[in-house]
Amino acid sequence: MKKPFWKFCEPKKSYDALIIGGGLHGMAAAYYLARDYGMTNLAVLEKNRFGYGGSSRNTEIIRANQRAPEILPLYVQSIQLWNELSAEVEWNFMIWMKGLIGLAHTVAGLNSMRMRHATQTNLGIENHILTPEELKKLIPFLDISSRAAIPVVGGYYHPPGGSVRHDAAIWGFMKGLYRQGVHLCPDCEVTGINIDHGRVTGVRAKVGGSETTISAPLVHMAPGGWSSEVAAMAGITLPVVTLPLQAMVTECVKPFLNHVVISELYFCYCQQSIKGDLIMGAHLDPWQSYKSYNTYEFASEQAYFILQLFPDLAHLKLMRSWSGLCDMTVDGAPIMGELPVKGLFIDAGWGYFGFKASTACGKNMAELMATGEMPEKIRFLSMDRFYEGRMVPEVYIARS
Amino acid sequence: MGFQINCPNCGFRDLYEFKFGGEVKERPGPDADIREWRHYIYFHKNTNGIHEEWWYHTFGCRTWIQITRNTATHQISRGGRE
Repeated sequence: MKKPFWKFCEPKKSYDALIIGGGLHGMAAAYYLARDYGMTNLAVLEKNRFGYGGSSRNTEIIRANQRAPEILPLYVQSIQLWNELSAEVEWNFMIWMKGLIGLAHTVAGLNSMRMRHATQTNLGIENHILTPEELKKLIPFLDISSRAAIPVVGGYYHPPGGSVRHDAAIWGFMKGLYRQGVHLCPDCEVTGINIDHGRVTGVRAKVGGSETTISAPLVHMAPGGWSSEVAAMAGITLPVVTLPLQAMVTECVKPFLNHVVISELYFCYCQQSIKGDLIMGAHLDPWQSYKSYNTYEFASEQAYFILQLFPDLAHLKLMRSWSGLCDMTVDGAPIMGELPVKGLFIDAGWGYFGFKASTACGKNMAELMATGEMPEKIRFLSMDRFYEGRMVPEVYIARS
Repeated sequence: MGFQINCPNCGFRDLYEFKFGGEVKERPGPDADIREWRHYIYFHKNTNGIHEEWWYHTFGCRTWIQITRNTATHQISRGGRE
């Protein structure tokens, strides 16, 4: 008999801390609480199965070249942590630092890239601005001619970017948590958060058809697209709107694309997975929805965009499409920190860019929960910023 | 996925003609302080279920209209149809 890498269980009556949400953010927080602070009397409560939400619906890109200097150090730390995890957990996370290439199609787009390039260079993040000819050397299939409706005028190359296999990441964290004695509880829906005199005392949850109370002095909410629903259980309104994001893959072909390619004007991106299929996405439907669906409009629009960049792919077939829920804030930056209820923490508002940052989010949230001190890397991200008018200007792709 | 919104001026039209305008909220009074205004602007109930919401008929008569839609199923109970 092989020894299992992890086992699930039903939650006990009490824990030192509870994590709501068995996605990458929740599991990473539990992992670093156990690893760095020796807190192993923990449970991760998941409504569906582990990795059901955004954790398995993303397009598995990691990068550290966003815009806002307030948040860039978090992404840098995240990439470091992704790279340490495989050896630590003894599990292949399939990290592939293949580099990320962004394409600009207008002078304004290129200027915006130069601005971000300056910020990144200032923070010591490797990034290069390239001409169309240099881009063509990196991506031989890219069409830089004037045949495209809006031709490429330049781009950036960000070598630390790449991909992490998202299923491997979910399984890796499950293995790492089980090994440290953390309880993994799927099919355990939290239905309420117990608060006594402004202090969290535990949660109510549906376990095996009946409702039970699980007590804990610390509760961390990492529910992804469902963040508003979970926060409402504690009487808290969040500054987010849940929007659906669609993605799709083509059939598998021989390796031809060695980088993640993003077109900032067409607003599409694609990368070729190790298996050979092209993963593409980036379409956030601009209306509130908790329903997962895919539309013909999305598939045809993405196909048109991708063909503007790679005309040779015209006969490639689409294999699958899927969608996930994104809780978007108005400034495009997340909400992390302690809430007005003592002992209640949140890591939400990650919208469509939560995957890459999950390791660093877990580490910083673990530090905050265990020590009570707000870590430097997330100090700009508390929910108070919306009341105090100090936004983190992360959105460079305007919401329609 | 797909539904039609019943515009009072133009009749049933495809949702792609419209722009989503967020949930219907109660506007703060004239003496509300800046904190209340910021709460009104940035914070949302973000309901998973029956939802009163604004839509703007961008590619039509360009008026703002209200409908009631279930955000979990996209069924419209007021002002549209599937």
